This record gives sequence, C-alpha cells and structure tokens, in this order.
Amino acid sequence: MPSDRKVLVIGLDCATPQLVFDRWKEKLPNLKKLIDGGSYGLLESTIPPITVPAWMSMMTSKDPGTLGFYGFRNRKNYSYDEMFFATSTVVKEKTVWDILSEQGKKSIVVGVPPAYPPKPLNGNLLSCFLTPGPESDYTYPKELKSEIVTNCGGYIFDVMNFRTDDKEKLLRDIDELAENRFGVTKYLMQNKEWDFCMFVEMGVDRIHHGYWKYFDKEHVLYEPNSKYENAIQDFYIKIDQMIGELLSVAGDDTIVLVVSDHGAKRMDGGLCFNEWLMQEGYLTLKQKPEGRTQVKHDNIDWSKTKAWGSGGYYGRLFMNVKGREPNGIIPKEDYEKVRSELVEKLEALTDMQGKVMGTRAYRPEEIYSTVNNIAPDLIVLFGDLYWRSVGTVGFGSIHTLENDTGPDDANHAQHGIFIMYDPRGQQKKGKLEGTNIMDVGPTILNLFGIEPPRDMRGKIVK
Amino acid sequence: MEKSRNKDPKVTIKIPRPLYNNLKEIIAGSGFDSATDFIVYVLRDIISHELYRGKESLSAGEIDIIRKRLKALGYFS
Ligand SMILES: [Zn+2]
Repeated sequence: MPSDRKVLVIGLDCATPQLVFDRWKEKLPNLKKLIDGGSYGLLESTIPPITVPAWMSMMTSKDPGTLGFYGFRNRKNYSYDEMFFATSTVVKEKTVWDILSEQGKKSIVVGVPPAYPPKPLNGNLLSCFLTPGPESDYTYPKELKSEIVTNCGGYIFDVMNFRTDDKEKLLRDIDELAENRFGVTKYLMQNKEWDFCMFVEMGVDRIHHGYWKYFDKEHVLYEPNSKYENAIQDFYIKIDQMIGELLSVAGDDTIVLVVSDHGAKRMDGGLCFNEWLMQEGYLTLKQKPEGRTQVKHDNIDWSKTKAWGSGGYYGRLFMNVKGREPNGIIPKEDYEKVRSELVEKLEALTDMQGKVMGTRAYRPEEIYSTVNNIAPDLIVLFGDLYWRSVGTVGFGSIHTLENDTGPDDANHAQHGIFIMYDPRGQQKKGKLEGTNIMDVGPTILNLFGIEPPRDMRGKIVK
Repeated sequence: MEKSRNKDPKVTIKIPRPLYNNLKEIIAGSGFDSATDFIVYVLRDIISHELYRGKESLSAGEIDIIRKRLKALGYFS
C-alpha cells in the first residue's frame, strides 16, 4: 500500500451492527455506500464491552489487562475504597497517533476516550466526554481552544443532563451534541494539515440508552405508538448525512473506517448483585438496609464478608482475601475454591421465569494476556448482557425491572461495527468474519505502510 | 518577576549546529514543518509524561464532577 493515502476513522460509540447493517441500511445512503463498496463485519469488543477501556484497546491494540484499566474506576490498591480514575494519563501504551507522530505524520483526534487531559501529538487533539467542563484546557495545542470557540462556537463534551424525564429536551441535546462534534471535526479537516483523522461521536450511545424501548417490540417496557418510535432511526439518518459531509471533505485519497467500541441491545432488567451476594451468604451488612440503599463500605461487616459487587452495565466482583484486603477473611489457599464456587453459582443464575440467564463470570487472567494493576476478581456479564448489574440493595428480590440510576432502556452488546472503504477501490470488498477490536490499530498503520509494532495484539484486516 | 520583564511568549534556545542539521535531515519529507516544530513536539511529549507520572492528573473536584456525570449516564451505580 503506498503511503500517500490519508485515513479517516469515524467512531460511533455504541453503533450496533443489527441496526446499521440490516434494519436501517437502506435508509442510510452514505453508510450503505461504504458497506456495499467496502468490507464490513462485526467487531468483537473487549470484555467488558465498555467505552473505557474499549476505545483505547482499539487504538493501542492491547487488551484491558495490558492497559491496566478495566473500566472508568479501578482499584488503586487493596483497600476497600481507594480508586483511580482512567484518565488519558493512565494510558501508557502507544496509540496509533503516537506512532504516526513519531513517523512525522500529522493527526486530528477528536473525542477518543479517555482523552482528558489532552496529550501532545504531531497535530491537533480535542479531549472527550470525560472533560470536567468548558473552562478546562481541552485541546492540544492549548491555543486551539480559542480557535474552536471562535469558529465552532465551542466544543460540547456530552449530554449534560441525561437522567431526565424531559425526553423532548434530551433529543435536542443529543442532536446538538452530534452537530457540534461533526462540525468541529469538519472544521479541523478543512483547516488543519492531516494524514490521519479520528473522531468519536457519543450521541449514538446516548440515544440508544434513552429511547430503545420505543422501537424494540421485544423490550419488556415497549411502548407502542410512541412519538419517539423513530427517534433512534431518525438520529442514525442525521448521522449518516453528516458522515456524507465528512466524506466529501475527505475526498478520494482518503480511506475511510467506520467503527464502534461495542453494540447495544435491549435491557431486560437489573440483577441485584449485592442482594444476591447477601442471599448466598457472601456479603453481610452491619445494618439491614431500610428501603433501597447503596452499599457503603463502612456498612459492610468485613468479618463476615467474602465478596462484594458493584453495579453498571456489567458486574465487578471483589473478594475479601486474608492478607490482601485490610480485614480479609478468605484464606489465600481457598481463594480459587471460593472463586470457582462463585463462578458456578453466577453462571447458574435464572431469570424471573426460572430459566438460566446465560450469565458469564470471567477470571481476568483467563481473558487477558497479562493483568496489570488490580483487576476485579471476577468480571460478570449478566444474562448475556440483557441484564445490567445493580449494586443497590433493598429491592426485596434479586431481579428488578427498575434501574438504580434512573430510566435506561439499553445495555451494551459484545459486538460493534467495522466498515472499511477505499474510494479508489484498492481494498478487498465484502463481509468480514472474526474481526476483533484490537485489529483496528494495526490495520490503520498498515494503510500508511507502517509495520505495526510487534507487541500490538491485533492482526491486519486486509 | 521574570514573567513581567519578558513579554515575548517564546524564548531562543541554542543547540549544536550538527545536531540541528541531523534533525533537519530526519524530518525532511515528514509532517513536521520545521526542526523547531519537531523539537517542541518531542519536548512537550516528555514533559507531559513527567508531569503526570505517578500522580492524579485531575483534581478531586474534577473527578467528582465526572464521576457524577458517569453515574447519571449509567456506567456504574
Ligand atoms: Zn461506548
């Protein structure tokens, strides 16, 4: 491959293969052109399939174990409450644009999480949705910020009030977010020199979580004939039009990738992780909860607790090990026995009808090539990810249709999308099988004629 | 204060000419427009690694803002 080509990567956080490749493809002319004229397929995400670490796994071609962060919040040490936050500075592995910078290639990078605080590169970078606020220095170089404010009216990090019942306002906010970020990216593409440009749009994720139940008839809370029935579809159509604009700016010299960090699926409910651990005798609270309440570490009777869990799109389980945690009780020699017992029980969990849910509990050392920093003792995907993990206790049952963080219709799915299109038609066309999120980095380097570093774990998609 | 006396935001640093010539050769045909651009990039990269090494790069207040936002988004509970 000659190295005079440019590469544009459009990242759509949470874009879902079933919607893009099947359900709405005919309504999305620009994406359809890329799919039909290029190669495409499912993109297998990290375990867990969460924004952080997924995007960095994609851009460094390393698994979360090697990266040393497993989600937004990670244990800093074996105390019960000290956590570190996955900011840009915890990323120690080289990203695609770090390698391109070393080779003198110029990059534009917009919103690839975690990107705050912004790190230097040969080119221009804007931070991501993990930026504290508009007063923060969110650009590299620093001077770029005032240019963005002047020419694009600023940079919107995220939808600031997601948990709202004002669905009308939320839709407008999501639209505004997308328009701003596509606009900023277009501005940079037109006004800065670049060989590589990557941009991540968050609106797709936000709209899935907010409006899924209005179109998916299989959703337990499906609301027929809602005025939001087409909200997600209309948003994809809008995104498609804006992708079209970026494509015309990119021109025929540019190879285009469209990727997502994971997919989405309907959420059937929440599995009350700590409630279950209490029922099974692994977790004991000092004071019985009155009503629904979060499990605070100072209310846990550590002398009678073997394990505790935390909530989110997936579950994290931590074990209270003697000599490791401050008040640990599991003898080191029993660690594996207790952990295996937990895996077995978790994977046998049933739904409200008594059917096995398809929960998977992963031991970090079995799924990662190496385990840096402190991973959870188990990473749990409840009910094939149709169920989220609920950390709060006091629901009176281990299943709940309500969410402890407010209304949410969708969960993350293990597979995102991968599309690669060459306007000059020099790349292979057709459906791809077995593409992994770590394949994206080496594939991009290869398009520039750069041999991927040996420690990149992915393979080149050709 | 040093700051008030020096209004110019840039300073001049002297480096050996052979080094400069080598740098010019390395960056020829690359995306760096000048040896200065290249030196600034490399130095900023080193400094950012040093600044952030082993310490929290965000203040407790900033982390709290982000944590609340993420919680509202449903990433964790
Ligand atoms: Zn995501």
